[in-house]
Amino acid sequence: MNARAIQILFLKDLFLSRWPLFGYLVGGLLSVLATCLPGEAMEFIAFIMMITVTIAAGIHLIGVLLLAESVDMTRTFVMSLPVSLLDYSLAKLAVVLVAFLIPWLAMLASLTVLVFILPEAKPGVLPFLVMMFLFLLAGFCLQLVTAIITESVGWTIVVVVLGNVLLNLFLKTLNDQPVISSLAQSETLTWPPLVQKIMTGEVVVILVALGIALLFQLRRRDLV
Amino acid sequence: MSAVLDQPEPATIAASLRGIAKSYSHFQLHDVNLEFTTGTVNGLIGPNGAGKSTIMRILMGLVQPDRGAVAVLGQRISSSEAIAKQEVGYFSEDMRLYKAETLAFHMQFVRSLYPGWDEAYARQLLDRFGLIAQQKVKGLSQGQRVKALLLLILARRPKLLILDEPTNGLDPVAKQEVLSELMQTVQDETRTIIYSSHHTQDVEQICDTITFIDRGRVIASDNRDEFLHRWRRFRLQAPGDWVAPEIAGLRKESVFGNLRVMTIDRYQPQVEDWLQSSGATLESSAALSLEEIFVAAVTRGREECHQ
Repeated sequence: MNARAIQILFLKDLFLSRWPLFGYLVGGLLSVLATCLPGEAMEFIAFIMMITVTIAAGIHLIGVLLLAESVDMTRTFVMSLPVSLLDYSLAKLAVVLVAFLIPWLAMLASLTVLVFILPEAKPGVLPFLVMMFLFLLAGFCLQLVTAIITESVGWTIVVVVLGNVLLNLFLKTLNDQPVISSLAQSETLTWPPLVQKIMTGEVVVILVALGIALLFQLRRRDLV
Repeated sequence: MSAVLDQPEPATIAASLRGIAKSYSHFQLHDVNLEFTTGTVNGLIGPNGAGKSTIMRILMGLVQPDRGAVAVLGQRISSSEAIAKQEVGYFSEDMRLYKAETLAFHMQFVRSLYPGWDEAYARQLLDRFGLIAQQKVKGLSQGQRVKALLLLILARRPKLLILDEPTNGLDPVAKQEVLSELMQTVQDETRTIIYSSHHTQDVEQICDTITFIDRGRVIASDNRDEFLHRWRRFRLQAPGDWVAPEIAGLRKESVFGNLRVMTIDRYQPQVEDWLQSSGATLESSAALSLEEIFVAAVTRGREECHQ
């Protein structure tokens, strides 16, 4: 493993994705700011915007950083340089993940701040938001695995669509849980065992998906 | 066989393929054994889909063979591809740069991975190839794209250049510029080029050794001059009942009335005497162009495969 090569590849990809990344960061922050606007309808629109920006960022960044390299045949150029498959795979996974995490974290962090500084906000809603954002991250990791295994835009979109359907089911299921729905109105921040279990499950899905993605990438025999 | 495969390559061998096989659903590469001597320009000639690109990708570690061993600059490519690639420049006609970025971006990116990057030479090549560093890749013509890729390869001063159809789609002037630059590169006797093309003229112009490949098989491999010397075509007049003498390496014989055209591999000067003394009148004895040799070798190879 060549740490310097990984760093160079990582920075190159981060630079290549700078404009979409900037767009999603701004879009994400604007949607978070929209939650501050008065009215329940505005709050709902801001919530939908946040989810939309996160999902769009995921599919777009996977497309720009991963699938495009195969379709545009730039991978042959990169792999002709002194980088091993391990260097390439680690750099690629890291940059796709970090690029997604930049708007994701910016949104979650700014929401957390707003929850604590806005007088009308209830801190108890934070576990719900964290679970929702972890679900979106897990969905992104599953899209990433699909893109790596199939190298297909079509299959990746299928997973995105399935993820959207599951997200709606997930949010509804959470809302149906009295332990969780009552949190949204709570003035105190608590993390009940059910929330902890759900979050642990989401983290496991994320780690397993990333592990499979790396393993599959390293077992690839032909790169072009 | 494995004992042979495990032997280290001598320093005079820049790259080697031993017993290489690779299967795809519609194409197989069969038992390829090739050695490329340090300081030589080696041409791989074959029709489209013959297996040239697959061989080059295997040399670069981009494709893993099903069987056999590959060594590049003394490194086993399967286990240490990154180390070997430090000294190798690879060009493929289907290789693309990032179209939204400039050539300067690519130069900076490649320079960061190569401590031996020669910036002065890169600037010279920019000038010589008429390229503009700040130009975006999507604005480059096909010829400029090839030159940009070659600049990124040559400025690293690689010991081994693996060039897959680098002159495809180039106009005659651009092609000559590229070939001239490659010839300059191998004036340094430690540098080796493996060059594939289906344009025999390009290969004939720059290569020391030539390998013909067809349908996934190496059908002939030799020194260029030896190839050109040993293939010959005779036109002779002979009566209908003429019995041709036994000539080793007779590859093709066509009969048009009393006119016979014989193409032979393994030419020896005595062949003319044998033909004349057999009662035939020799009209001409001519060396074949590399293209004619290639066609004859491919045709013969395919016939042998069918038999």
